[in-house]
Amino acid sequence: MITLRNIAKEYHDGDVSTQALRDITFSISPGEFVSIMGPSGSGKSTLLHLLSFLDRPTSGEYSFFGKTITDLTDAQLARVRNEEMGFIFQSFNLLSNSTVYRNVELPLLYSGDIHPEHRARKVEEAVASVGLSEKLLTPAGKLSGGQKQRVAIARALVNNPTVIFADEPTGNLDSVSGAQVMEILKKLNDKGHTVILVTHETYTANFGNRLLRIKDGLLESDTPIEKSVADDTHAYFK
Amino acid sequence: MTTRDALTSAIASLRQSRTRSILTMLGIVIGIASVILLMSLGQSAQQLILAQVQNTGSNLVFIIPGATKGSRLSSPPSVQGIIIKTLVKQDLDSLQNEPSIQAAAPEVRGVAKVVFENNDTSVTFTGTTADFFPMRNFTIDRGYSFTQADVDSLSHVAVLGSEISKTLFGYRDPIGKTIRLKDITFRVVGVLGSKGLGPFGVDQDNIIIVPITVAQKQMLGIDHYNTLTIQAKDTYTVDFVVSRITSVLRQNHRITDPDKDDFTVRTQADALELLGSITSIMTLFLTSIAFISLIVGGIGIMNIMLVSVIERTREIGLRKAVGATNADILKQFLWESIVLTFVGGMAGIAIGACIVILLYFIFINIIDGWAFALPVSSIALAVGVSTVTGVIFGIYPAQQAAKKNPIEALRYE
Repeated sequence: MITLRNIAKEYHDGDVSTQALRDITFSISPGEFVSIMGPSGSGKSTLLHLLSFLDRPTSGEYSFFGKTITDLTDAQLARVRNEEMGFIFQSFNLLSNSTVYRNVELPLLYSGDIHPEHRARKVEEAVASVGLSEKLLTPAGKLSGGQKQRVAIARALVNNPTVIFADEPTGNLDSVSGAQVMEILKKLNDKGHTVILVTHETYTANFGNRLLRIKDGLLESDTPIEKSVADDTHAYFK
Repeated sequence: MTTRDALTSAIASLRQSRTRSILTMLGIVIGIASVILLMSLGQSAQQLILAQVQNTGSNLVFIIPGATKGSRLSSPPSVQGIIIKTLVKQDLDSLQNEPSIQAAAPEVRGVAKVVFENNDTSVTFTGTTADFFPMRNFTIDRGYSFTQADVDSLSHVAVLGSEISKTLFGYRDPIGKTIRLKDITFRVVGVLGSKGLGPFGVDQDNIIIVPITVAQKQMLGIDHYNTLTIQAKDTYTVDFVVSRITSVLRQNHRITDPDKDDFTVRTQADALELLGSITSIMTLFLTSIAFISLIVGGIGIMNIMLVSVIERTREIGLRKAVGATNADILKQFLWESIVLTFVGGMAGIAIGACIVILLYFIFINIIDGWAFALPVSSIALAVGVSTVTGVIFGIYPAQQAAKKNPIEALRYE
């Protein structure tokens, strides 16, 4: 269970302070697909950073499956990110000169001493799950946008995380590639992974089963997405 | 992140920017090659100088007039040009009667003009006895060395060094010819074999050797000696001979307080020790200069690594997002600079060794007795220093990388 209670985040730039998030309270159960929407500057990316342990709140309580952020050191936060979280970014964030294999392997490098054969098997399985087995030894820079994002998904999956964080995953993709990516995320959610998606596109958000709307740093609404809407969106992309 | 993974990642990153890596390494390559080259040349020079000392005879003891002040290896006043008349014939006679002494040869020295026909030049002459030649390992190339009878009878005979022979006679045979040395006529009876430079760079081929009696009485007008060269029966008895010499000379000179000695006794070991310390200082000095280039190379690596950290900001952000700790990032960038300097060091050793070998083949034709030296210590030092350079100059960029905030790093354009 992910639980946030009265979370606030304030940034300081000299004497000027900016309240990015205020009094955010909600919970996410395991296996949910939560979409977070809001206009630019609303605080949705800040919220994602807090949820994914990349940043700490200024005040409030945040518990991630029993682990309270305030109790953990930076190194412990990094360990949680490595073992229980997967990340998908709008701009893919791949090492373009490295092969698909090396990119997907990256989180495993920080997972302790895994036997090389076991590591190779995990990478191959993750790459196969996004349909790019034949590209295993291709430099990531030579792939199309859609393929790059699928590599990023494989990288997010390779450690079998509890939660996958996706920050505008279709933002740099054409509609077909975007649909493929969302299909994969939907399948991952169906397999039990919790997915937290930040987007400004309604049809992408509709892949989820719950929608959080953020505005001016406040949680404006927290509503379920009707199954019929999600199914329609799903069918539309198909 | 395991060390193996950090090392693999570092090598992969460096291979991806191969040209830059090679150019970055250049400073270290040059620095290490310089260290290898200068340490090797220093050692070769040291071996050459020590061989020259040993070539004068390892069981020789030298007695110089005047006491040594300060350290044991400092020069007595007579070496610095002050005339001291304390070593005389009575000392020589006493020492020749010592059973532990094989032979003793007195020496006086001067500088004079030598003339043969229209050729003239300034030359160092040595007055000595017949024992001098075998004691100092001088060989006779042509003719013969003068005898004790020549010394006793004040014969005007001279033995020429190989260089002065060439200067005066060119390719003509000097044996039997007459030269004028300090306006005294001498008959050339022998020419020495080439001997090269002696200890402290003394040219042993540009000398004229004459009977000491002639040099003392007719050329210099003195009755003391500049040096007494004593030959011990073998190398193992040198220390005993030194103590006997000291005892005999103190008795002759009526010295009861050792602090008031008016002579200095030097052995080959003293000379080797002195020269060894001089050449070691020389090598240290040269190596220090080479280290400056290593520091410059290290700073070059630091600069490039700092640029690399900035260029790879997003990569650092990504690595942190997927679980890298600050220590993991530090380790990876540190390994990159260590690999750079280590590989650069290896290349530097190879290049330095090639230059040392090349110079060896050039120098053996120019300098007699030049020896090949590629000390293992220089290689070990080079490997150690290059790796330490990598750590020292890599740590700052690696810290900069490790400190990056993951969110800001991921947003970096």
